[in-house]
Amino acid sequence: MSALEFIVRPPADRFGLKGPNAPEWLAAAGLEIPAVPNTWTSSSLFVARLGASEFFLEDLPGGTALRQLLEAGLPRGVYPVLREDSAFRLSGDGAFDVLAQVCSIDFSSMVADDRPVIMTSMVGVSVIVVAYEAPDETRYRIWCDPTFGRYLQQTLGHIVIECGGNYTGVSE
Amino acid sequence: MMYRVDAQPDQWIDRAVVVSFTFEGERYQGFRGDTISSALAAAGVPFLARSFKYHRRRHILSFANHDSNAMFQVDGVPNVRGDVTLLSEGMQIFAVNTFGGLARDKARILNSLGRWLPVGFYYKAFHGRRLFPYWEKMFRALTGLGTVPLDAPREATAKRYAFCDVLVVGGGPSGLSAALEAANAGARVTLVDEAFRLGGGGIGCMDGEHRATQALIKRVVGSPKVSICRATTAAAAYADRWIALADAQRLTKMRAKAVVFATGVSEQPAVFRNNDLPGVLLATAAWRLLWRYGVAPGRRVVMIAGNAEAYRVCLDLHSQGVMVTSIVDLRGERAGGDGAAACAALGMTVLAAHAPYQAVAGEDGTVVALEVAPLGPAGRVHAGGHQRLECDAILMSVGWAAASQLLLQAGGTTRFSDALQQFVPQELPDGVFAAGRMNGVYEYADRLADGARAGAIAAAYAGFGTARPEAAVTVQGARRPSHAFPIIDHPAGKNFVDFDEDLQVKDLENAAQEGFDSSELMKRYSTVGMGPSQGKHSNMNALRVLARVRELGVGELGLTTSRPMYHPVPLKLLAGRSFNAERRSPLDAVHAALGAVWMPAGNWRRPEYYAVPGEARAHSIEREVYAVRNAAGLIDVGTLGKIEVYGPQAGEFLDRAYCGKFSDQRPGTTRYGLMLDESGVIVDDGVVARLGEEMYYFTTTTGGSATVFRELLRLNALWGMDCVLVNVTGHRSAVNFAGPLSRELLQPLTSLDLSEAAFPYLAVRSGDIAGIDARLLRVGFVGELGYEIHVAASDAVGLWQALSAAGAVRQLRPFGVEAQRVLRLEKGHFIVSQDTDGLTDPLEANAQWAVAMQKPFFVGQRSLKILAARGPRQSLVGFEMQNASRLPKECHLVIDRGNIAGRITSIVYSPTLGKAIGLAMLAPALAQPGSEIEIRGDGGAMLKARVTSTPFYDPGNQRQRMAAP
Repeated sequence: MSALEFIVRPPADRFGLKGPNAPEWLAAAGLEIPAVPNTWTSSSLFVARLGASEFFLEDLPGGTALRQLLEAGLPRGVYPVLREDSAFRLSGDGAFDVLAQVCSIDFSSMVADDRPVIMTSMVGVSVIVVAYEAPDETRYRIWCDPTFGRYLQQTLGHIVIECGGNYTGVSE
Repeated sequence: MMYRVDAQPDQWIDRAVVVSFTFEGERYQGFRGDTISSALAAAGVPFLARSFKYHRRRHILSFANHDSNAMFQVDGVPNVRGDVTLLSEGMQIFAVNTFGGLARDKARILNSLGRWLPVGFYYKAFHGRRLFPYWEKMFRALTGLGTVPLDAPREATAKRYAFCDVLVVGGGPSGLSAALEAANAGARVTLVDEAFRLGGGGIGCMDGEHRATQALIKRVVGSPKVSICRATTAAAAYADRWIALADAQRLTKMRAKAVVFATGVSEQPAVFRNNDLPGVLLATAAWRLLWRYGVAPGRRVVMIAGNAEAYRVCLDLHSQGVMVTSIVDLRGERAGGDGAAACAALGMTVLAAHAPYQAVAGEDGTVVALEVAPLGPAGRVHAGGHQRLECDAILMSVGWAAASQLLLQAGGTTRFSDALQQFVPQELPDGVFAAGRMNGVYEYADRLADGARAGAIAAAYAGFGTARPEAAVTVQGARRPSHAFPIIDHPAGKNFVDFDEDLQVKDLENAAQEGFDSSELMKRYSTVGMGPSQGKHSNMNALRVLARVRELGVGELGLTTSRPMYHPVPLKLLAGRSFNAERRSPLDAVHAALGAVWMPAGNWRRPEYYAVPGEARAHSIEREVYAVRNAAGLIDVGTLGKIEVYGPQAGEFLDRAYCGKFSDQRPGTTRYGLMLDESGVIVDDGVVARLGEEMYYFTTTTGGSATVFRELLRLNALWGMDCVLVNVTGHRSAVNFAGPLSRELLQPLTSLDLSEAAFPYLAVRSGDIAGIDARLLRVGFVGELGYEIHVAASDAVGLWQALSAAGAVRQLRPFGVEAQRVLRLEKGHFIVSQDTDGLTDPLEANAQWAVAMQKPFFVGQRSLKILAARGPRQSLVGFEMQNASRLPKECHLVIDRGNIAGRITSIVYSPTLGKAIGLAMLAPALAQPGSEIEIRGDGGAMLKARVTSTPFYDPGNQRQRMAAP
């Protein structure tokens, strides 16, 4: 049993890459990249594969790995995608109930060990959601366009509270 | 008169708990578990409602969740269905659709004015213009059910999504059987039923069906694979097995891998004169009242029979001490079979081959007798042999209509079975199955078997178990469950087919004779099936009447289209939480601190202007305009769409997607981009900057960013070009720093050379502003020297603060959307979808200069060539008012010799020019500069204006090209 919780995740360096040479370039840089689209890996960086040649990268709060990766610049066929997403985490018992009220995806049938990446719409906002296993629960990371961040935060926070959970801006 | 009988096992009421309530101000008592209608019936209330059109007295008819004549205003909430709404302590209940209360309803006079209210009366009344206002006022006063409380609080409901392997709709024997079979195969099953308890028609009868159904319910409830939703209506079915489920709290969007519709059948009334009197009701209504709520329909009951079910109900009633005196069987001798013999043995008189001629009302308006006669040819009785049967209740058991609405919505089709006199499924969409009486399967054991068959097939479709071969639908022609024509003519009418809309047989016949002789046309003209019960009790009989008029079979006419919602759903459930995704600029807090007055722009909130204490709105806007024209102004334009295109074919892609030429654009420059759709209509615009050989950065309109990006992705996928699109709208911010002092104020903040030679008009540069990486575009939307500065969203506040500090001592002022609107209009710039509409092409908008027709291809080019050959039908032009003291509004019409010749698209008072100016879409004949036009303003005042050339301000565009000081 774990308490339903919704938090605003702390600022961290985030970036995206697109282009036909992006997979090879990331692999050559020593990153473990997801083998198939709509899955994620985590090594020195969190890497979500959004498509055949599209990636979303996130560093740890205060981390430098992403900056180091990009310092040398990008080769031909690898294009930068500015990402200043708002980021949240939803976890605990009742998370399914919250997700069922805001999104048409069946998260209950998702296996977190498969490391799924879901690109969907949540309360009218395009989001990226990943599921991952924590010691006693499945957790969900949610990213959205920063201009929708306040709206998504307030809307989900309200529903979480209504479902008996905690909504804070506390960092992980 | 109805009354409460002794307690029975498995009833739905708890007689230990008394519930008090009021109806029409009178105090009553019921029991916990009672519905409003059952409590009122048990209390002997003689009538519950007034009918929609004639304001006739009405009572319970179907008691099946679509009892349209038993709807109430309950504690202020209108149109509460009494047959399914539980009673609660202190409820205040009133009848709807009355003038002066239920008993003294003044509108009851309409009952005697029927001859002046023929079918299609609305259409006929509204035909003439002169009396239109009179009729409109009268209809608005007379029509409608209940009163909407305009001060009711907004109730947000938590709409939700749900998922299952197999959804079973209907908790009767076949539905239960289907659910159990699917669950046993391993599927996650959701079973939905609109009633408070499972069992449907299998519960509450004297034979073994009751016990068998109870046992089945126990197994279903005990199955860990079955989730049960009681008191939940499957209100609509959409493609791909998407079913809307409505309960009292919320709407659930259920996505099922397979669906079994075991929705059963709706009992249909017999049609005869006065079949709507209080005390005349469907047999199943009486049966439910008795078994669930312990309410008997009357003390002397007459049954009108058209099937075997009638005898079964009579035996049930008799077993509970209710006296059934006579059974009037529309069928021939011996058609009643064993049931008739059993009833006769109990002392009931069976009148075979007889028909109800008319019901007779007593002084209080309730039924006191049924006049019957030997049945003649279809719909008629013989002249002699009439009998009067004294009674206080008349039950009707003459047939059914399949509840196939959801199946049809899901994409299924039906055919009419002459043997069954019922529509049965013909084609089922993938993953959708039907079971039970909807299939024409009426015997109890067959219903169980049919449900199990459907459940197994559905589970197999969802990936569980092995499908059995699909058995053919059992059609039981030998015991026809529905009479072919339970409709009796009467010269005096009032033989109702549709109890919602007070439609009689003659109304439907007249509609057909007036040419509305298909099921769809008849529905629209007569409104049959358009009331609260949505035709559940009326569509079949209406089809039979139409079939007789046209001398066709019912199957040749077909059902009307079934559309969502199948069942009335409170609007609050549809609205849910009313999510309204609002975007906020990264500068939102800065604007708020500056006194921004907000306005919606697309899904953003933007500062309309910045309020200054003690300063009127107009004055604040005027001062913002003044600052831009004479010093410098700063506006947040981060709401513009911002898209990047990379790759070897990026320029070629833009050449195709936009109507301008970009592949030959030099890096470091910008060009205006105009986007058309395939029909040549303007859909968006923006500025295209070439940042490198293989990199472009361009803007879209605020409201169009998502649509444009989606369309560009589609086009790129279609064309397969070697380029990549990136939408950075929310991740980048932008401000427009404009005014004659802008260069002077900006230069100290950047290492970029802002001189005219190094950074001319329409150039783009990348560099730093106060240490922030930025892209600077020299554009002139507001008609002054200016820089559109684009930075990462996280740098927006820093940039704004740096610019504000730089301009603090030089009259720099933030300006909002309203000032920008004035400034751009002074320059004559149009705004897409304000000054253009869904038909405006570049030729009409005088934007030919932005179109490179010589290109091999661009979206809309072919249409534009055709439009060019035809010539413009309208033209966007500037105008100035001859008198600025009274201004028209946007969308006011331009009138030329009494005809509409155009419309105003934008109009403002220009403080810079000291006159009112605007843009108008005009007929070409009026579009020449100097033409005098007349605009019809508020109250019909004709206001004079003159067409002028644009720009109004700085026609030579010298200020935005301003040379370096």
